[in-house]
Amino acid sequence: MLFDELLIAIMKAVNRERTISSPFHLIKGKKSGQTIQDIGYYGLYPYFAVMPRLEKRFYDQVVEGLFARGLLQKNEDVIDLTDLALTSQTPKTQLDGWKYRGNEQLFLNRLSLIVQTFSHISQKVNVFDPVVNTEEIQLWVKAYLRKSNFRDRAATAAFKTQLMDSLEEAPVTERHKMILMQRLSGLGSSGLTWEQIAASHGMTPLDVQLFTVETLHAWMQIIEQNRYPLLSMLMEGVIQQSALTESAQRTEKLFARGFALHQIAELRQLKTSTIEDHFVELAMNDPYFDYSSFLSEELYQAIVAVSRKQQTKRLRDIKEKVPEASYFQIRLALAIR
Amino acid sequence: MELEKLLYSTYGFSSFRPGQREVIEEVLKGNNVIALLPTGMGKSMCYQLPAHLLPGSVLIVSPLLSLMQDQVAQLKKMGEKSVVAINSFLKPEDKEKIWSTLGNYRFIFISPEMLVQPFVKKQLQRISISLLVADEAHCISQWGFDFRPDYLRIAEIMPLLNYPQVLALTATATSKVTNEIKKYLNISNPFIYTHPMDRKNLVYDVKRFEDQKEKIGWLKKFVDHCEGPGIVYAGTRKKAEQLALDLTNSGLSASFYHGGMDHQDRIFVQQQFQNGELDWVCSTNAFGMGVHIPNIRHVIHFQLPTSVEGYVQEVGRAGRDGKAALATLLYAEGDEGLLESLVMDELPTVREIREVYANRTEPERLVEQGIVRETALRVIAYWQSRLPLEGTLLQIEELQKEKIKQAEKIRKLVTIDGCIRQYISECFDQHLLDKPENCCVNDGIDYSVFKKRVKKAVKVVPASWKDRLDALLPS
Repeated sequence: MLFDELLIAIMKAVNRERTISSPFHLIKGKKSGQTIQDIGYYGLYPYFAVMPRLEKRFYDQVVEGLFARGLLQKNEDVIDLTDLALTSQTPKTQLDGWKYRGNEQLFLNRLSLIVQTFSHISQKVNVFDPVVNTEEIQLWVKAYLRKSNFRDRAATAAFKTQLMDSLEEAPVTERHKMILMQRLSGLGSSGLTWEQIAASHGMTPLDVQLFTVETLHAWMQIIEQNRYPLLSMLMEGVIQQSALTESAQRTEKLFARGFALHQIAELRQLKTSTIEDHFVELAMNDPYFDYSSFLSEELYQAIVAVSRKQQTKRLRDIKEKVPEASYFQIRLALAIR
Repeated sequence: MELEKLLYSTYGFSSFRPGQREVIEEVLKGNNVIALLPTGMGKSMCYQLPAHLLPGSVLIVSPLLSLMQDQVAQLKKMGEKSVVAINSFLKPEDKEKIWSTLGNYRFIFISPEMLVQPFVKKQLQRISISLLVADEAHCISQWGFDFRPDYLRIAEIMPLLNYPQVLALTATATSKVTNEIKKYLNISNPFIYTHPMDRKNLVYDVKRFEDQKEKIGWLKKFVDHCEGPGIVYAGTRKKAEQLALDLTNSGLSASFYHGGMDHQDRIFVQQQFQNGELDWVCSTNAFGMGVHIPNIRHVIHFQLPTSVEGYVQEVGRAGRDGKAALATLLYAEGDEGLLESLVMDELPTVREIREVYANRTEPERLVEQGIVRETALRVIAYWQSRLPLEGTLLQIEELQKEKIKQAEKIRKLVTIDGCIRQYISECFDQHLLDKPENCCVNDGIDYSVFKKRVKKAVKVVPASWKDRLDALLPS
């Protein structure tokens, strides 16, 4: 998936209902209430946090390009796609951002240092500058290598075989896999910068970055099946056990102990609106979420009915038709599965 | 001879480089030392070796995170295991472990801002510190080209640690700066070792052009003819990127480097350059630290640097192998304009100072909102805690004048008729004793010692991901 295809895919889902900067927050993985809720409302799970370090100026450039190519039309408030964009095909993607949450970077950092070490040691070079200089990763990789008897040439061969076989299975293009390999370093072959990789494929740096994430997500799906034990180990701590943000998890615990919304806000010294965001997040993730203390069954039905009939998830539009509901109640109702 | 034996048995070097022995001997005698050693002369050995003879830990204050990381990596590469780096990026769980065993480390690296945290102070008081090293000590000087306000805080900790023995290291310092180092670190009668600034194997060249177009044309031709590796310093990130593109488009192996890049990309460029996969790096002044390449043949300044100190440090990255290297400064009509804006860019503006003083409680918000630059805030915050608004405004005005003076010195460098080598030495209050044959543009340069570019066979680029993997992990 190319970067502008990613934007169009997200924009299609939220067309005329969200602002032009909302896809940016989603791609960056912003953990705000709005972004997290939208993932549930609009089914944007694959795209969350796929590029945590995306810079606004680059995003803006691509958006400008969409206007220039007649895919977006001027609208002061919201994203407004043209028919050209709306009828375009959304390519299938291997992205699974909601699951990996940007942690593919952890996997890649470990992999980079392991490959670099094997590359040098197997060619009898014992001293080199590590390509990853975070202490945490270095210690992890050291422990990993010690377990695998890494000075033995057979260890390198075994690792390489599992890497090759598992990546082969990943359902992405050969180009995807090449781009990922270009990010790895070894003796005499340093990793390439995004600019260099982009130039070698006639793509943009953003495109090759997205390709890399897509490859990693696809590959990690294969590795998770545990048929490649030498790589499965690299997944340690990559997948978060809970789908919730950490802060929402804390709110969940207090709620389970019987605290009310305003009490939780007080205890945690957070704004009520923040805690409300957490409840919306809980509702989104937990099919058994008990909303009765926030929302009557009738009100819930009323909100859902309006949303369905008007084909909208814009809070303002719903509020007009169901004025007795608070914005929080509307958000909650829309999040409930 | 004992020291040489230790040097060999510990690090495998059979002899000291100039200055190292003198400094180490004084340190071992228990004297405070200020050592001025040019870049690439093995400054860190001056505390590394004593660390093996002193009873307590060596505490190294390092002003830049990237520098600290590099030094730690270098020490580990040399086989030192007892090394720890304390900076704000440490995780809580790691910190606990470090605190409980702090006294056992031979080398403790620390950033100035961590140094003054109450908890950290207490931990440092608990252990025995044999030597405090102020690395890049010129950063302590507000007149210097690289002032870091946090660095002055070393002074705050000195009494708490019972005035430990101090070793101040720097590559560039005028006598004014040396005096400030003495004053702020509170060291009386230090042994001062000054290595001549001048590097005999560096040849200084200046090229003047009518306009920018002519300049870029010359650069393309020059790098096409000359054997690298080399660095092209540009004034801005954008310019660095553009120059790299220009060189790449004319078929050269070049890339850019600046502080705004992805962290991993920066490491890749460094390693490609180090491994000889890349001949030219076009960069801002962010490139250099942590680059340990002995055979850099050319340093080209595409734009005027902002101070002679900065210039000397940058050209000093060339020719560390002792062989001839060429430093070329390019100048075109009108370059002063850019120089002025770069110089002023390094300082807080009057508007920024007023904003910070008006928002005492949450100055960080101003940075977030883009009203005040982060670098500016650091400087203002330092003065804010010491001076009222008017005082700070005056202070910055003074700094501005000083910066302009420094810029004028650079301007003079491109216009003088006399020997450039001599001029540079004078800027550092040093007398040039003798000149090499191949000296500078004004004394005549023999270009024949610099090799013509040999067109290398084009490296075979792997065609598929499996080929690339085979290159990384050959069977």
